[in-house]
Amino acid sequence: MDDDVERAARKVRDVEQAVSQHVARSGPITGRVSSPDGAVTVVATPGGPPQQIVVSPAALRMGPQGLAAEIMRIAEKAQRSASSRLHHTLERVVDPRELTELGFAPEQDEDLGWRR
Amino acid sequence: MAAVNEERMQATEQLQQDLARTAETVEHPNGLCMVTASAKGEIKALHLHPALLQQGARAVGEVVTETVRLATNAAVQTSFNRMALALGDGMAIDVESIAGDSPFRSTWNPVVPPKSAAPEAAQERRPRTPVVEDPDEDAFFENPFGRR
Repeated sequence: MDDDVERAARKVRDVEQAVSQHVARSGPITGRVSSPDGAVTVVATPGGPPQQIVVSPAALRMGPQGLAAEIMRIAEKAQRSASSRLHHTLERVVDPRELTELGFAPEQDEDLGWRR
Repeated sequence: MAAVNEERMQATEQLQQDLARTAETVEHPNGLCMVTASAKGEIKALHLHPALLQQGARAVGEVVTETVRLATNAAVQTSFNRMALALGDGMAIDVESIAGDSPFRSTWNPVVPPKSAAPEAAQERRPRTPVVEDPDEDAFFENPFGRR
């Protein structure tokens, strides 16, 4: 049992090192999406909470409920964008099927605000 | 031994299903924002108090970001706790050695208090109850120190 854990930990460390070296070359992987009118901008990380949420002064006119809905909509898009970027960045060092299983789908959508 | 492994396999499968559904709701310390988030940082629900919008656009962004982070950490911690319940503390410690510390362990810092992004909402001041010089008997019975 301890051997299994040690082996798993070693494998994770190896993948982590390969990923770190790759990310060091490519830069941090985030997804940045804005509403069409610039009311809300979210910088998301793959598989984690948003790194930054920026609200424009004009967006305050949407009211608490409208603004909350817009933040949720943009945050979801930004996270999908980040996951997609992660998939494309790591598919050379990690099995793409495993990435998809982990929830990092190779989605390509111009609406997400980035292109390969 | 095979039965134990089978049991663990079933527990792990159940755990994966549980974790996919795990979400926690957290209110910002200033009481102006409430977020329900999954362990993966997805925002499931967001409630903004009208008073938060009065603090300006920058405060809204910072408070929401901070609250989502707190809710995600809470969901991750719940996942760790469920895992420890399902698989035992030993297995949970093994997973921590692979995946990193749980939020409770990695963010607990009693020396430096967390810095709030926005000032806390002012608490309503309750007016002090006026002291009434009342010779009436009722006033005597309201004073617990006067009872015999």
